[in-house]
Amino acid sequence: MGKQENRKTVSRRDVLKLAGTAAAFCTSFGFLHGSQTGGAVQGKHIQEGKHLQARWQQAEIKWYKGSELLSSTPFPSKVLKHLQSDEAATVEIKLFRTGKLLKNLGKIKSKF
Amino acid sequence: MAGPHEILGMSRVLGIGTTEFLALYTDNQGTTLRSEADGPCVFLTSSGCRVHARRPLVCRLYPLGRSTDERGEERFALFPAQPECEAEVGRDGTVAAFLESQGITPCLGWSRRYGEIYRRMIGLLERLDIQGKIDAPAADAPAEAAQAGSGTAGSGQEPDRAPLSSWQDIDASLAEYRSTKGIAVPTEIDGAIAFHLRAIEEWLDDLESRLGPA
Repeated sequence: MGKQENRKTVSRRDVLKLAGTAAAFCTSFGFLHGSQTGGAVQGKHIQEGKHLQARWQQAEIKWYKGSELLSSTPFPSKVLKHLQSDEAATVEIKLFRTGKLLKNLGKIKSKF
Repeated sequence: MAGPHEILGMSRVLGIGTTEFLALYTDNQGTTLRSEADGPCVFLTSSGCRVHARRPLVCRLYPLGRSTDERGEERFALFPAQPECEAEVGRDGTVAAFLESQGITPCLGWSRRYGEIYRRMIGLLERLDIQGKIDAPAADAPAEAAQAGSGTAGSGQEPDRAPLSSWQDIDASLAEYRSTKGIAVPTEIDGAIAFHLRAIEEWLDDLESRLGPA
């Protein structure tokens, strides 16, 4: 009953303009899901996981002779996946010959 | 994304009006900045951003992102680093210090004001029981809403290219406000934005008075 009366007092033109303006502001200001879901981040979703993935995506190990690049090797996928999995993830690189450890070359941390 | 106040600022950098800016540089019925076919923003050139002095909040904030809840409470978070971006990203310092250092506070203030108006409009729509039309932007409502706009925004444009609402076009909105009220309106950016907010608030006041007490 009350709503019926309200609709008579506000013109269809104003209702449509109100709806259009709310929809425009909704998109313009990043309220992608409206007020019901509490808004959305302006732009893309922020995910730490994606941040890690981007950081390690094209990582390579490069071999130098002085300043001359001799060789370049992408990270093995299993290593890459581990480093991308968690900010606390670490891997160690060790030099072996015939199964015998010669030297620990150091540790790589996911977050540096 | 680009709010009406941001469109005003960018249009002034380019030396054009907001009506022309909306037609030339926005998509999605005036709500987003146009992109080139291969992805980058239409204002990104080899020498940088063409509208850098008045770039939108979302660009000023990067690498931070901002979200608000239904009460307008804000949260900030860090975007994933973009490999092609040359900006230095660190985790030292505070959000407040970053906002201050980037001169974001005034721009953020305007966005908050428009956010208040947005929530007020949602409240009105809920009272009118037409929330369903807002939740379905692809339906007929936006086109109808654009036609219902009383400003000159979108004049001569195809319906799907016209702004969703005449309020998105500050120059046109203020021209109508000046004509209706018979008063002078500021031409400088901040004054014009303040008047735009005032004009929308007066319109909402009128709608609320016609609806009666909540």
